[in-house]
Amino acid sequence: MNRSLRGAAAVAGIGSTPYYKRGTSPHSSLRLNLEAILAACADAGLDAHEVDGFVSYANDLNEGLAVGAALGVREVRWSTMVWGGGGGGVAAAVNAAAAAVACGQAENVIVYRGITEADDGRQSYGKGHFPPLLSAHGVLTPVQVCALRSQRMLEVDGVPWSALEALVQASYYHAQRNPAAVGYGRPLDHSTYADSRWVSEPLRLYDCSRENDGAAAVLVTSAERARDLRQVPAFVLSGVQGAGPDWSESAENNASYTSAGFHPAMVARLWGEAGVKASDVDVVQVYENFSGPAVASLIDLGLCPPGAEAGSFMTVPNLVVPDGVLPINTAGGNIAEGFVHGIGLVLEAVRQVRGTSASQVTSADVSLLLGGPVAPLVSATVFGSAATV
Amino acid sequence: MTEQPVLDGPVPDELVAIAERHGQVVAAGDSAATLADFRPDRTGQLLGSARLPERLVSSRLLRLEVEPDGLVAAFICYTAADGSETVLRSRWIKLEQGWRVTQVRNVPETPPVMAAAGPRDDGLDRPHWEGLRAGQVRIQRCAPCGHWIWAPQPLCPRCHSFDLTWPAVEPDGTVYSWTRTWQPFSPELSGHVPFVIVVAELAAAGGRRLLGVLCNGDGASVHVGQPVRGEIDPAPSVEAWPVLRWRLT
Repeated sequence: MNRSLRGAAAVAGIGSTPYYKRGTSPHSSLRLNLEAILAACADAGLDAHEVDGFVSYANDLNEGLAVGAALGVREVRWSTMVWGGGGGGVAAAVNAAAAAVACGQAENVIVYRGITEADDGRQSYGKGHFPPLLSAHGVLTPVQVCALRSQRMLEVDGVPWSALEALVQASYYHAQRNPAAVGYGRPLDHSTYADSRWVSEPLRLYDCSRENDGAAAVLVTSAERARDLRQVPAFVLSGVQGAGPDWSESAENNASYTSAGFHPAMVARLWGEAGVKASDVDVVQVYENFSGPAVASLIDLGLCPPGAEAGSFMTVPNLVVPDGVLPINTAGGNIAEGFVHGIGLVLEAVRQVRGTSASQVTSADVSLLLGGPVAPLVSATVFGSAATV
Repeated sequence: MTEQPVLDGPVPDELVAIAERHGQVVAAGDSAATLADFRPDRTGQLLGSARLPERLVSSRLLRLEVEPDGLVAAFICYTAADGSETVLRSRWIKLEQGWRVTQVRNVPETPPVMAAAGPRDDGLDRPHWEGLRAGQVRIQRCAPCGHWIWAPQPLCPRCHSFDLTWPAVEPDGTVYSWTRTWQPFSPELSGHVPFVIVVAELAAAGGRRLLGVLCNGDGASVHVGQPVRGEIDPAPSVEAWPVLRWRLT
């Protein structure tokens, strides 16, 4: 019995709305999701009535069945919500869609995520994850938890501060090349970064992702069908999701406290199934709720050395196109492109395989997506070009 | 009657008048003039950081102090219509456009008192909160296998026993990590930021870690590994719950 996901499914279409300043969307989150889904189907050259599966994450308000009803699809065969707060579910949602396609449960599965502050409320990304054992102590938001993890990573593990800044600067560098980015036309210099206000030490304003209203969607279908559709397919080579021992909802008692949550067994499965090594990765879209946890993700994956050596790897020249050894967040990421719970990172990971990014990596055959550092759940997807399958 | 402010260190002459005038415009409720004194990239954070009574009648500049990082701290006392006095410490920075407030807080510091304190809806952590009310720090522990469990669970994740106990432990710990939160994320935090949150590791509870606000965190140099001791902050009202705090020892 073939139990492998490798190469069975591919992203064949991508679509998104603009990133609106939070609270300013002219439409509901349902409408934004529908706009993004129609755009993804149009991109692929598929009639949206043919969609038969829906996957989302982070408690999107719009259930797959309601989205399917609005679209008038012929049949809903697959409808899945990935549990676990935050952006940790972003790659898991892609993996769930790929799994559905790989085992024949559905043919054309949409992965979508839409947020409007009017519908979801303020700070919807943290809802339900701040019980009294945190909130009684004034810990109300993800940035404070991520600050606690980052502080120990800096102070005990010895990761230098410059690693965090390099990640932020690389994101802003790429955003200057992406007219759709919220940070486009707003380059960031060192003093602006370093003089910005503290949010929660050791994280300053620019270490934090943005918050936007918006939506995006991708169409996952079988490898065969993807080849017949309009775009260059981004094949799913492997996907993992989960949480290690003592990881979730433990009121800061996680066993690997400075890890982003990608424990060694999970990382081994990711590379093993994809048939690639960390050194084969051409480009990474790494979820940055905050800079520190994103650096922790790269360390977990073995893409960046741990401890003090992280500083020599995490430099702006290493992390940007065209010559960097590992370009990251080539559209600007959550920090500089815009934030709708990381769904934009999926689209950019796909663009890199297609060769259509505004900051294109030369022959990007292996494109990695990392979701949700420090969230109760983390997930990853390796996308590959036709050359990899 | 005008009392001269105390000047500590080489305080620039012009700052005395600037800080006095700042106190006057704040006391007069002149929002536009108050905002004009703020560093422009953080007006929202500054506005939400300090807490003042609604009706102020006067202000008094108590003291200006040059700090090691080059900022100048201004201690200004505001008197409300009911006679109560509130002191804010603003920190001033010299920018191209002149002196601006870059930080502000109420002094002396007080920890935030959160309405969320108390057991969660499903009651899983209720024995902990009741322990605090009895003056003890109680942590969940499995009776048969001795495993310490935190956050509390309905059963022991190690041996799957539902026979769980809540022994009181000595709240002696070490700083496992910490953060100083500056952003007033909720109105409840106004008047209390910045404050330091500590994750403390308790040797007496198998190395389990408990969160809490650090008492006397203002200006404290906090490091991982420092010893701390827990204190129980009494409930602010009969219906409310006490809260665990940490203090450097």
